[in-house]
Amino acid sequence: MGVPTVRSSGGALAAAWVLGGLSVACGGGESGTAGDGLRVALLTSGPVSDAGWYAGAYEGLLLIEESLGARISHQQTRSPAEFDEAFFSYGSSGYDLVFAHGFEYQDAALRAGEEFPDMTIVVSSGGRISDNVRSLIFRLEEGSYLAGMMAGGLTRSKVVGMVGGVAIPPAQGTFRAFEAGARVIDPEIEVLEAFIGSWDDVAAAREAATAQLSRGADVLVHNTDAASFGVFQAVREAHGDQDPVWAIGMNRDQNDVAPDVIAGSAAIDIPRAFMEVATRFVAGTLPPGAFDLSLDENVVDFIVNPAALDRIPAELLSRIGEARAAIRQGTLEVPRIRFLEEESGSP
Amino acid sequence: MARAAVEMRSVSKRFGPIEALADASLRAYPGEVHALLGENGAGKTTLMRVLCGALAPDGGEVLVENRRLPPGGTRAAAAAGIGMVHQHFALVPSLTVAENVALGTREGSGLRLALDRVHARLAELERVTGLPVDAGAPVAGLSVGAKQRVEILKALYRDPRVLVLDEPTTVLGPQEVDWLFGVLRSLVAEGRTVLLIGHKLDEILRVADRVTVLRRGRTVLAQGRETVDAPGLARAMIGRETTRAAGAARAEAGERVARVEAVGIRGDDGRMAARDVTLDIHRGEIVGIGGVEGNGQRELALVLSGRLPPAAGSVHLPATVSLIPQDRSAGGLVPGFDLAENMALAFHDDRAHRRGPLIAWRAMRRTARQIVARFDVRTPGWRATARSLSGGNQQKLLVGRELARSPDLLVAENPMRGLDIAAAAFLRDKLVELKGGGPGEGDAGAGGRPTNAPPGIVLFSTDLDEVLDLGDRVFVLVRGRLIAVPEEERNPAGMGRLMLGSERA
Amino acid sequence: MISQPLRPRLRSRRTGPLAAGMTAILAAAVLAAAGLALAGYDPVAAGHALVSGAFGSWERFASITLVRATPLILTGLAVALAFRAGVWNIGAEGQLYAGAVAAVWVGLAFPAAPAWLLLPGAMAAAAVAGGLWTLVPVGLRFRAGVGEVITTILMNFVAIHTVAWLVHGPLQEARGVFPQTDPIALAARLPRLGSGRLHAGFPVAVVLAGALWWLLRNSAWGFRVRAVGASVRAAAVSGRIHTGRVVLGAFLFSGMLAGLAGGVEVAGVTFALYENLSPGYGYTAIAVALLAGLNPIAVLLAAGFFGVLQAGAAAMQRDVGVPAVWVSAIEALVILAVVAADRFLRRGMETGAGPPGRSAASPGSEARESSSGSGDPLSDTGG
Repeated sequence: MGVPTVRSSGGALAAAWVLGGLSVACGGGESGTAGDGLRVALLTSGPVSDAGWYAGAYEGLLLIEESLGARISHQQTRSPAEFDEAFFSYGSSGYDLVFAHGFEYQDAALRAGEEFPDMTIVVSSGGRISDNVRSLIFRLEEGSYLAGMMAGGLTRSKVVGMVGGVAIPPAQGTFRAFEAGARVIDPEIEVLEAFIGSWDDVAAAREAATAQLSRGADVLVHNTDAASFGVFQAVREAHGDQDPVWAIGMNRDQNDVAPDVIAGSAAIDIPRAFMEVATRFVAGTLPPGAFDLSLDENVVDFIVNPAALDRIPAELLSRIGEARAAIRQGTLEVPRIRFLEEESGSP
Repeated sequence: MARAAVEMRSVSKRFGPIEALADASLRAYPGEVHALLGENGAGKTTLMRVLCGALAPDGGEVLVENRRLPPGGTRAAAAAGIGMVHQHFALVPSLTVAENVALGTREGSGLRLALDRVHARLAELERVTGLPVDAGAPVAGLSVGAKQRVEILKALYRDPRVLVLDEPTTVLGPQEVDWLFGVLRSLVAEGRTVLLIGHKLDEILRVADRVTVLRRGRTVLAQGRETVDAPGLARAMIGRETTRAAGAARAEAGERVARVEAVGIRGDDGRMAARDVTLDIHRGEIVGIGGVEGNGQRELALVLSGRLPPAAGSVHLPATVSLIPQDRSAGGLVPGFDLAENMALAFHDDRAHRRGPLIAWRAMRRTARQIVARFDVRTPGWRATARSLSGGNQQKLLVGRELARSPDLLVAENPMRGLDIAAAAFLRDKLVELKGGGPGEGDAGAGGRPTNAPPGIVLFSTDLDEVLDLGDRVFVLVRGRLIAVPEEERNPAGMGRLMLGSERA
Repeated sequence: MISQPLRPRLRSRRTGPLAAGMTAILAAAVLAAAGLALAGYDPVAAGHALVSGAFGSWERFASITLVRATPLILTGLAVALAFRAGVWNIGAEGQLYAGAVAAVWVGLAFPAAPAWLLLPGAMAAAAVAGGLWTLVPVGLRFRAGVGEVITTILMNFVAIHTVAWLVHGPLQEARGVFPQTDPIALAARLPRLGSGRLHAGFPVAVVLAGALWWLLRNSAWGFRVRAVGASVRAAAVSGRIHTGRVVLGAFLFSGMLAGLAGGVEVAGVTFALYENLSPGYGYTAIAVALLAGLNPIAVLLAAGFFGVLQAGAAAMQRDVGVPAVWVSAIEALVILAVVAADRFLRRGMETGAGPPGRSAASPGSEARESSSGSGDPLSDTGG
């Protein structure tokens, strides 16, 4: 009772396997384990062409290659099923340092850290740590706090809005700080908040932004990735010269994305942060556990849009400048959400 | 002698190990109806496919009006004036008659159909041939006979010198056959040539001017009508003598084995295919149901055999009902299954063919072998799929399987169709034997009916002679209504009148 | 005599399936290489990365390629079984998610249970959940006559969004921080085989493939499935096969296999439930099943082939820097080439031996059968 189709379909498949076997036999050897020199890898779960969170990480990787002469590699994982596999690939190929650029990698990173003790994994915004698994935490709250002050100073309706991607603590933390910054200017300011459940959904972001604008908000901040374009579009459409509506960028300096409506950006200099981590790793001075990078290291900042300077009251700019200095000096503490397990209580 | 319209010389064609045509020749003249006869598998259709360019022969040559036809091209054949009417309609139901005719013609090949030209030409053809047809009607609503008229018109539209018809009478009632033959005569009167493939000798002899007989791929006889008779032709076709059994004796009805009452049946298209059918079937009788194809036979056969629940009415059936459906390749057999697997469709649940949850394939193959031997099924090998058998051999396999189930009730729809003379005679004898309580085929190991009680048999057929010959009680099925044929109307003409009469109503 | 008897256009009887398969792979490789070269990448290096990424060492082969192949085997079997029964189950993806949810739930709910109970329990729950996930399409098919193609696809979306909701809500990790569940209990995880990442799900999948093959071939159940799939009419006309029941059973069983794939993926690879848990395994499974000619044993080879492709594609990214989108495009290209070559080959084998549409040893057949050879409404009027 043979199945009629087996023989023929087996043909192409069997051929594939024969070819595969042959290639193993004639020199499918390792593409080089161990080896000399620093080897650094990057994992992202989104495309590095996003002009944002992932692009910054890839720039950092290229910077490491250029400055430290490291051999680099990047893989975009498409699902959690690929996390462990990617770590395994890098671990078994002798990589020294792996940047896992997102909280989603943390569990797989811990497992891989155990399996490959010679490999150090740095998880961006990670929540769990071990000997060789570190968390790289960007204190974006500090920039976001200053952005909140800007929003509080610019709003005339006394309503400001926040459009977020996925409601995870690092994102929520920036919003709490933003809120606090705005209320320093005026405690009566109303703050709207929406999470669209995606970092890249432009249409959803635009819809959420439009909804907030229609509820009276006249300054919008976002914490998304590619979806930020949706927020900027919505703001641009609502913007009038007599009746200005403002947007504030986040994660990276987005001032040139929409110079007419963006007042400034709370930005992380991811390439600089990666360089900092790699340099310390090479020097053996990477601190155990979480590695916070903040305003102090010039990794996080709030950058006022130069094209909007003439439309922003000088008094507001100087208040923001004072707060910036106070944060650096440690005299002003910005509220933040702590999401790192085993994190010490010290500030 | 006049110049031949078609001459095929020593044509040969192999399909793998099978020699379909060995030394087939045919010579047909203008102005004659030329019949091509032969058993199933003799190579009739293969030869005609070579003529039409659908198959390239391995050897031999084809001349049309003394010009050699380049092998293997339907376009060249059509250009040379060969037109073919297939046994199975190749019509698009949702299109009108004129649109169907236009398909594949110059009028239909542009961006827009030049339908007015088609209509004009059809009107002309209608006048010349006397083929009445409503060019604007959608094909879906036409009767079977009308559809065939459309097929013939489709072929005539290109003004062929030679028209090939493959078993055209199987879908027609007696009056329609007469009418078709009249049309064929008028075509040859214009100087055309008609090549007629057939299997009913009486019918063929009524219309043919010359006869060519193929046997196992060779031409064994080519004579004028006046020099042949039916027994001679039969002898030529099968290569030996046959005897036709005398008409079966009418049986006395036994106990009632099945009853359907006021049954209405919905067809695949959602319309009522049959309504208000009431019928008792008794052991030891053959209920013959005649009628033109497409009048609800398929649906009624499914309901009578318990394969389809009726939309209305009640059905009482015995435990084992065998069904020989009309469309064996899409209904009775699975074309991609091998012989044993096709037998397993009926027997995989029988204890003799099971080992616990597994099928005892060895026993199944033994059963298959017995059926194949008993019914003389010609197969290319044991692993052969049903698809690889010729139509007649598929039919034999199916009939063999259904008889081997030892049914209490046997429902058969055109079971003789596609069988060669010997197999048809065998099946006919088998049916008679079965209703007389003979051993049937139950010894094939299929278990089933323990006693010798004969089954009841329902025989649907478009061949009225068959129904009259075998049926103890005779009905006609017309547009889904079952009409009993009274004693005085038990003849082809009478049944034809009943069929037509009801159609007018 | 006709001097030049025409030969059927393609005769591949002599070349044999293996050679034709080689040609297919080669053609796919050439196409992919051309695409890569056009995009400015070194095709030789990319090819080397692909091969060494998938086969580089036994450990790598086992840890990456076979691990990737495992869910594809199980979902491939699910699709193959359904298609064999004439059920167009396009919903393996959703059934996989349903199974993953069930396995994670069991793995989290009974942390104290012993492994011999918890692991089989989680796998059984996954299979049952996958089966249950087919109930809506099954019900709609049988009660309302709605085709399962649409309904199973829609149920995929339902599953994916349900998982998103679960990891943000009821099943979110205890700390309530990230959109994922807590890792499942150690006792609910599949044991590793050897030192790499290969887990016990792989041999289970292989055994299931063998068992399914054997059952389809030898059991009465398998025969009914094949009969219904090959011709519902013939199966119904035989009077011995309750076609509805067979379809129902195959549908449920198919869903169970896909559900098990989800359970195995969670218990052997991810250990927690995430959004986007599957990179489209349930869809790739359709290609796997078709490439395998719906034969369970061939599903092993086809799933392995896709495993190689995916493992190698990831290596192309890592070692040569080919971006992910290019990798996806090349994957698709290779699949297309292999499937096309496979079809071509199959047709070739038929035309090589006889008239189209018939198998090798077809005799010169008569009336009814032969006219079906030119059954196309246009073929005999074309001129």
